[in-house]
Amino acid sequence: MEFKILDSIPDLTNLKSFTERYFSKRYITNVNGVKNNDIMIMFHSNRIALLSLAPSHFFFNKKNDFKVNYSLGNINRLSNSVKGKSKKGGQHLVPKSVICKIEYEDGTSFAVPCCMKGSLVEVNEELVKNPKLLREYPDEDGYIAIILSSIAISEATKNEMLTHEEYLKVLNSFELND
Amino acid sequence: MNDSEVIKLCKELGCCDACCLRYVGLKTPIAYENAKQFLVKYVKEKLEPVNNDEHSKGQDETKPDHVDQSKEQGKEESANNVEQSKEQDLTEPASDVNHSTDQETEPLKHEVDSEALRNEVDNRTHKKEADESTCDTSGAKEMSGEPPAKKQKLDSICVSCLGVLQEENWQQCNTMVKELLHKKQYESETFACALSAPIATMLREHYVMLCLKEKFTHYDTKQLTPLKEAWKWSFGAQLAAHVGMAQDSGAVSPLLVTLNLEYPDDLQELEVLKTLSASLFESRSKQRQRFAVEFTRRSVEQALRDVTLAGLRRQAAWARGAPVPRTHTAPVSVQAAHAPLYLGGRYVKLSRMLPQTPWLVNGLRMMHSSVQETIFEPIARLYGMSPEEMEHRLKFMSAGREDVDVRCLGEGRPFAVEVSDPQRQPTADELRRLCDEISEGEQVIVKNLVKVSREDLALLKKGEETKSKTYEALCIKLSHTEDDELTANGDTAVRVTERDIANINSYRNSDSDSSRVLLTQRTPIRVLHRRPLLTRTRRIHDLTAYRVPGHPQLFVVRLRTEAGTYVKEWAHGEAGRTRPRLQDALRARADILALDVASVDLPWPNTQPIHST
Ligand SMILES: [Zn+2]
Repeated sequence: MEFKILDSIPDLTNLKSFTERYFSKRYITNVNGVKNNDIMIMFHSNRIALLSLAPSHFFFNKKNDFKVNYSLGNINRLSNSVKGKSKKGGQHLVPKSVICKIEYEDGTSFAVPCCMKGSLVEVNEELVKNPKLLREYPDEDGYIAIILSSIAISEATKNEMLTHEEYLKVLNSFELND
Repeated sequence: MNDSEVIKLCKELGCCDACCLRYVGLKTPIAYENAKQFLVKYVKEKLEPVNNDEHSKGQDETKPDHVDQSKEQGKEESANNVEQSKEQDLTEPASDVNHSTDQETEPLKHEVDSEALRNEVDNRTHKKEADESTCDTSGAKEMSGEPPAKKQKLDSICVSCLGVLQEENWQQCNTMVKELLHKKQYESETFACALSAPIATMLREHYVMLCLKEKFTHYDTKQLTPLKEAWKWSFGAQLAAHVGMAQDSGAVSPLLVTLNLEYPDDLQELEVLKTLSASLFESRSKQRQRFAVEFTRRSVEQALRDVTLAGLRRQAAWARGAPVPRTHTAPVSVQAAHAPLYLGGRYVKLSRMLPQTPWLVNGLRMMHSSVQETIFEPIARLYGMSPEEMEHRLKFMSAGREDVDVRCLGEGRPFAVEVSDPQRQPTADELRRLCDEISEGEQVIVKNLVKVSREDLALLKKGEETKSKTYEALCIKLSHTEDDELTANGDTAVRVTERDIANINSYRNSDSDSSRVLLTQRTPIRVLHRRPLLTRTRRIHDLTAYRVPGHPQLFVVRLRTEAGTYVKEWAHGEAGRTRPRLQDALRARADILALDVASVDLPWPNTQPIHST
């Protein structure tokens, strides 16, 4: 019997994107009390986490040109490097640590906090060259950083954050209040 | 000094006949098969004339032994060597024998033409038969001329080998080996045997050699025939007759029988080394982590460098010579192991829910089976293994692996199974039946299984790093290309066009003849928790695409890649962590829906019949 790739066409009505297939998305809204300072963290089943902006972040309402700056005073996230299987040497992160700043042409800016404890594995250098990826594909090519933490911390952070359903509910209640 | 004087002293010290031959440095296997007889003849026929000669010279014995004299005696000694050259063709060069007592499985290295020697011995046996039948069983009397009162008793335990080489102690060993071989039912025609002897024999050997050295300045301690060799030639030879198999060297026979002999006073006797080599054992006891066991062959070997005859004689137990053994060594266990059997083949994997090896997360299995288990189960049944036995007697090897959701089609992926300690070799019929049983469930198909060699396994492992693989990926176009939008004509559905296919088929970013696409891939996130973060360059040698009838948004890419290329990551791009990616060739966003390995380009196993290893 001959087997062909075409004998395995899946159901096309329910396709999932790369991040939907492999990650579970968690949200935190109004970080540091700033309205719509909303962060999304995507957790891989192996506890690796991708930091991104949640779709409700105020960033997506502003149309001005911007730059992504990973160089923050005395810390340059671009110079982060990790070694070996255990990713030794990654910059240490706490929930309040700033990963990058989004800087607008008019001189205003905002900081992106990482919202979890862990160590920095990688930042998305492509955003420096091509910032519009952050606006167009925030949950894929526009991811901000890759963070590694222990299984325990990763689980705890996941549990503290909103699931996708909870997040949608919170957004709806805000709309009603406004 | 001559051999008969060495033998005489060994006898006086309490050595058995075989040990006498060992200290003389005899390395002729046949000599040990009946050490008693051989010793008598050796002394009588070969040495007595020389012996008389030497006695008239009054050499060695009459001279006080002194290290300084060895230099003065140099000339005489070399003359002596010429004299003795005749008897030396009976023995083989000592330099070839490995003295390390740690390597029990070391192959024997005897170069003597034992056939010729056997004839010689046989002839002499016939000639002297009459003598022999009336002769006292002890060889000591004949060659030393000692009065009967002083000779060793028949059943006394050898002070050197502690009975290891004395045939009166072999009965139990024979029985244990026979029982074990009967239980395991090997179909081997040969066996090799290995000995684990009490360590106290090393100390006792050292003592005998110190005594020989004291009396005969020129005694060469390097000539000693190792205990394990003499044991193979004596015990091993009679064991062969007992179990009805031929004995061969460990390098040749696939079946190894290991006997562990213990001596009850072993540790107690070695205690003396803690006094005689105090610093060694002090430093070892400070490093308990590293040296959990006090007396090992290695530590005793080191300690013996510090042990002198004078030092040993100051110890109460050794004041009047080597302590008389209370009892002989006895076998405590026997192991038998057959060299592993290696089976090689190629597997086709038809399931997208089947991992290659059991997939465990926190000790829980994620899928109910695996390719490995599907292949193992019939083999385990053939060899009557329980599930626990299967786990440690079967080992799976393959040229790479595919993900749980990736099928492996075409001619399949090369793999091998190591069966440890097989009782027998499978027949061609049995191999065919194994294939049928593996393929029964239609998840894993194996068409052919052959016996492969250890060298073939190396090729399999090497292939993992060097082979290229051909994949087929079912992909979806997710956005319009720039020219799609120009011709959209009001219809906004995304479709794969002939131009898209042409774009992929002509895509290249490399001028190399052997590859069209050079990729830069970061370690995929899915394995990043257990592998270092690296950026690697990988090649796509060839890349073609075709449309899928009835599915306008889908297309298939067929690509041949260098080993180690992450194809899924190239197809979906992993948020830009692999560049360039499929979307660069298509000029629109793309994703992957399914992946198959179409061929693993490694011709293995060789289908020529391969003789058993
Ligand atoms: Zn002995």
